[in-house]
Amino acid sequence: MFWDWWQSLFVDMSSANFFNFSFLPRYGYAVIQGVEYTLILSVISVLMAVLPALLLATMRLSKNKAVRCISGAYIAAFRSTPILVQLMIIYYGVFSIITVPKFMIFGFIDSTRFIPGVTALALNSSAYVAEIFRAGILAVDSGQMEAARSLGLSQFQSMRLVILPQAVKNVLPALANEVITMVKESSVCMVLGMAEIMFTAQTIGGSTMISIGPYMLAAFIYFVITYPTSKVIERIERRMRRGDKH
Amino acid sequence: MGTNTDYIISVEDLVKEYNGGKVVALDHCSLNVKKGQVIAIIGPSGSGKSTMLRSLNLLEEPTSGKIYFNVIDLTSKGVDINKHRQKIGMVFQHFNLFPHKTVLENITMAPVTLKKQTEEESKETALNLLERVGLIDKAYEYPNMLSGGQKQRIAIVRALAMEPEVMLFDEPTSALDPEMVGEVLDVMKELAAEGMTMIVVTHEMGFAREVADEIIFMSDGRIIERGSPVQIFENPENQRTKNFIDKVL
Repeated sequence: MFWDWWQSLFVDMSSANFFNFSFLPRYGYAVIQGVEYTLILSVISVLMAVLPALLLATMRLSKNKAVRCISGAYIAAFRSTPILVQLMIIYYGVFSIITVPKFMIFGFIDSTRFIPGVTALALNSSAYVAEIFRAGILAVDSGQMEAARSLGLSQFQSMRLVILPQAVKNVLPALANEVITMVKESSVCMVLGMAEIMFTAQTIGGSTMISIGPYMLAAFIYFVITYPTSKVIERIERRMRRGDKH
Repeated sequence: MGTNTDYIISVEDLVKEYNGGKVVALDHCSLNVKKGQVIAIIGPSGSGKSTMLRSLNLLEEPTSGKIYFNVIDLTSKGVDINKHRQKIGMVFQHFNLFPHKTVLENITMAPVTLKKQTEEESKETALNLLERVGLIDKAYEYPNMLSGGQKQRIAIVRALAMEPEVMLFDEPTSALDPEMVGEVLDVMKELAAEGMTMIVVTHEMGFAREVADEIIFMSDGRIIERGSPVQIFENPENQRTKNFIDKVL
């Protein structure tokens, strides 16, 4: 009984087959474009999050309580609500007021969906990256700031010349991990019809009537992107920690 | 007192409290420093020596009291502390060199950033100073390649590059291996001989005795006794000073 079912997985090309990838010859190109879309979307989102996150992190470390609270509230709001909800509110709320001009990015990305999507993901990511930066800044020995200030440098100059260059090194692996998280999280953008991996899988499923195969392929692609990358980052992180001891 | 132009630094009634007054680190301390004087602050750990020193350039913000530097009250509102800190050099127990910058960059960063000198001038000053402390061959190395004694000599040079009027030393030899203490103290002695005004928190009683013009003994956040090295080391008046001196000598 089990063997019959197991064999049928590979032989029987029914629509409910887990490993029915018969759509590939025809839709392979769409899948590749979906992967490109996901990668562009996640990398740009995290990059866009860097500057606001830096601002949020420094605000979070400010002496002024009001400034600290504003940043804290932003971070709490974005970390404690689902990204899907944020995406909906930003797309239907904010971008019903702001009209994005329609043009194609890299020839296949529709700006009217991409820009709201990137905005939502970047706003969400900036809350997480802010916490990464904050930890990175706090990891720099407090004597560094004191030494810089004792020479007469301002708070800002000390941050820029002494603290941040050292914090960046602490922070790079965590930032790379954030990109990996974003590769997975960006799948929510399918609800806006952004042609990333998940949307492509759904579209293929719809037009070929193969229900499971495309999603299995999507899962496989996500795994192949994120797992090896996270292992490489882990290794780099370990090597960096060893380097610090000298 | 604070407006007396004889004094380069004058501290009046300095109080530093933590946790809303539960911990008193400095309890109404006053101090006058004349130009060219070398003052050593000694005392048991936790006596407030470091807090006192770190208050002088406002790394610690005093709870109350006044700190005059060249007759200007640093604690009053509207004082640009960054400007005054340029004239108050500081050397730390743990060196605090910038690990991402070369020795030369460590020294030139502040003078160049604060437009005290051009990059060229600053480099020349730095190399001259490095020559004087015998570390010119380390100019292009990174701090983590150096020994503790070398790091501390460079930290001194970094502070000197700003051409300060006074130098603060916060236990500059406490983190060093014993065999490296001498090379750092030698640089400090030379500096004192050149007439630099210095305030030194130290456990090196030999150095304090030999180099300081005045010794200040602190305990429990208070200045217990002050006087010449001979007086403090040989004829302490206060019993606590006596106990401390007996223990450390």
